[in-house]
Amino acid sequence: MSDSTTAEAPAEPPAPAAEPAEDKPNFMRLFGRYLTEANSVMVTIYSLLLAFLIGAILLIVSDEYTRSTFTYFFARPQDAWYASRDLIVESYTALFEGAILNFNTLESYQAGQAEFGNLLRPLSETLTYATPLIFTGLAVGLAFRAGLFNIGAQGQLIFGMMGALIVGFSLDLPIWLHLPLAVIAGGVAGGLFGAIPGVLKASTGAHEVISSIMLNNIAALFLVWALGTTFLHSTVKSDLVSKPVDDTAILPTLLSSLNPSLRVNLALVIGIAAAVFTWWLLSKSTFGFRIRAVGFNEHAAATAGMRIGSTYTTTMAAAGALAGLGGAALALGVSSGGITTNTALDYGFSGITVALLGRANPGGIVASALLFGALKAGALSAQPDVPVDISTLLQATIVLFIAAPALVKAILHLRTPRGGLVTLEAKGW
Amino acid sequence: MAVDTAPAPALVDDRAPARHLKAGITYLVLGALLVVVALTWLGGHSTTVAFDKTLTDVRWDVPTFGVVLALGIACAAAGAWMCVGLPQRRFKSASAAAVAAFVLALLFWAYSQEGTVFRAESILAGALFLSMPYIFGALSGVVCERSGVINIGIEGQFLMGAFTGVLVANITGSIYAGLAGAMIAGSLSTMLLALLATKYQVNQVVVGVILNLLALGFTSFMYDQLKKADGLNDAFSVPVISWGPLADIPVLGPVLFQQKLFVYVGLVMVLVVWFLLYRTRWGLRTRAVGEHPAAADSMGVNVNRLRYWNVVAAGLLAGFGGAWFTLGNSLAFNKNMTAGLGFVALAVMIVGRWNPLGVLAGALIFGFTTQIARDLSAAGSSVPGEFLQMLPYAVTLVVVAGLIGKAKAPAADGVPYNPGDK
Repeated sequence: MSDSTTAEAPAEPPAPAAEPAEDKPNFMRLFGRYLTEANSVMVTIYSLLLAFLIGAILLIVSDEYTRSTFTYFFARPQDAWYASRDLIVESYTALFEGAILNFNTLESYQAGQAEFGNLLRPLSETLTYATPLIFTGLAVGLAFRAGLFNIGAQGQLIFGMMGALIVGFSLDLPIWLHLPLAVIAGGVAGGLFGAIPGVLKASTGAHEVISSIMLNNIAALFLVWALGTTFLHSTVKSDLVSKPVDDTAILPTLLSSLNPSLRVNLALVIGIAAAVFTWWLLSKSTFGFRIRAVGFNEHAAATAGMRIGSTYTTTMAAAGALAGLGGAALALGVSSGGITTNTALDYGFSGITVALLGRANPGGIVASALLFGALKAGALSAQPDVPVDISTLLQATIVLFIAAPALVKAILHLRTPRGGLVTLEAKGW
Repeated sequence: MAVDTAPAPALVDDRAPARHLKAGITYLVLGALLVVVALTWLGGHSTTVAFDKTLTDVRWDVPTFGVVLALGIACAAAGAWMCVGLPQRRFKSASAAAVAAFVLALLFWAYSQEGTVFRAESILAGALFLSMPYIFGALSGVVCERSGVINIGIEGQFLMGAFTGVLVANITGSIYAGLAGAMIAGSLSTMLLALLATKYQVNQVVVGVILNLLALGFTSFMYDQLKKADGLNDAFSVPVISWGPLADIPVLGPVLFQQKLFVYVGLVMVLVVWFLLYRTRWGLRTRAVGEHPAAADSMGVNVNRLRYWNVVAAGLLAGFGGAWFTLGNSLAFNKNMTAGLGFVALAVMIVGRWNPLGVLAGALIFGFTTQIARDLSAAGSSVPGEFLQMLPYAVTLVVVAGLIGKAKAPAADGVPYNPGDK
């Protein structure tokens, strides 16, 4: 801790000369050093811990009974302590049981009363909720690499949902043609919608944050209208539900042979494939090189002869296509019986947090989509005992710390790592 | 960037007639469309204008055909003038006239339907009231951005204000305590932005978006938790303040002298912020810090401290605007009840070119649009209600696309200032 000032010294390049002067770095020493350093791994870990701590405090403050025990804290502090502890343990256990493993089911499985499939149910839910997040996270992350802050994943996902739905119920084709076509339709619809902020930015300089937020609202209202039209509206139900997708366009489930309640479907595989593809696109293709060049320094990229405007447009279109595929995953997967205004949940907005936590890397995005999918599955299964919005709250708190590593560093008195703090940048007006 | 291959534009004398083909053709086409609409559909239709609050027995029936035709011709004429060439200084007023004619014609057309009445007084009063969140949000944005901090988190500050306003009003039983609570809540949430933007030099756009999510998560979470307890989220309403005889003046009375507290505070704040920014030492320093922080620093201004306190103060405004959603509308808090209006406020700030008076004009346009959309969908327009609700968002999109390139943000907007760098 004491030598944190030396680590912060700006003249760093010849620093290795100072290192060997210390006695031989053994493993424990290096490990301890690593733990107290604000590198991306440790910042991520500390962000998670801090966020769960803040979540715990809010749970205590907002719970009426626990709050009441604090009114006589000085008379009987143990009451407040036990009430708080029980509340936190119960809430976070409920989240864990809804997301990963339910201990009751485990007991009955060990007693031979439950099938193995039942045991996998929370995990299947986590994967189900993580799937759209992979797509929207990639959509936000890809745009980030070009220096674009794509907040429009929600609208792009909604349009992808509608595109996939329309192809899914209106065409009569064999499954090997119908399903891919419906998925692609989702991607195309999302891509076209996503290209709008790109075009606007390229041609007029309109900031993508504002235009994509406006398009989110427009898309949500458009969905309400579209669901009411005779073309989309269900012929059987009277409430605002769309027609179901044909059997030939439904994404097959992966594990329902074990237990029919396991909803995780092929979309997960497509999502991971999309992540691999995005990784390839970003790090191996010319297009990805252009994206990164524009993201690092658009003036340099322009000097090198790259067209900035068309890069914005194509990047946003690609990002929109990814989010649109996420919409297709919903419309042809868990909501193949008909989409509602509620189907999209907040997947698009959570995509922002997923991309930030994943630091706009496809691998990181998949990992953080799994984490936030688990949070969502846990929160949905734990409600109403635990408020469902705890997942949004925890997500936002986690990424707040991720986006502000300097804050984590200051709170926990960490060292500055060799390469400086890793942050994500988005341009202003 | 000298990569453009297009030939450099010829130098133009400012007083000589100049052609504006793009704009001219646009207005010409719009005007022609109006004429076509008038000739094909509007024969025999009439638009009723009523003064519903003061002169309840006055109703004007205006023949829609003639009005739309005249306005269409006016719009097209302005367009034609631009095509032929007009003095540079006339361009602004000509295009304002063309846009006004077009919008007015659309209004007459929209209200020509059977059963719709243009209730002038309610609509104008409602428009002024609906422009309030935009005014507060955009003013908050102006104060932040003039000092060089981008505040994308207005939406989140609205939510915090809306939530806290109702909560405090319920706990204390006083609306005014609720308003104060809302302001403090707004200010606390900008404090986080201020801290991260100045001390920790974090990217402000990213943090702003995260703060929005945080506010959404926090207020929704607390809403669910407090729902269990009784009497913490009941609706409170701010009284309508009526200025005695002044309130009976036709049109002006209901619009200006029979409104809720928010309207008066909003209008006064526009003037106050304008005065502070352009007529005081604080304003000069704030603008300097937003344009050229290094220069301000060298003149002895503590850049980051000024930015910090300006952003915190701006939070008071945004929090007050947040209270409009609940206390102003006599509503209980609901999840995500601000519905993206914080971002619309940001667009208003851009339309107003980071100037409080411009903000007032922009906010009035948006408030009017929202009010017309609501009124028409309540009157049963043939246009689906969802499309009418899209109107403010669509207008924002158009306005941002049309203006942002031309409106100049403060030069150091969004750039963290580190005294050691220079």
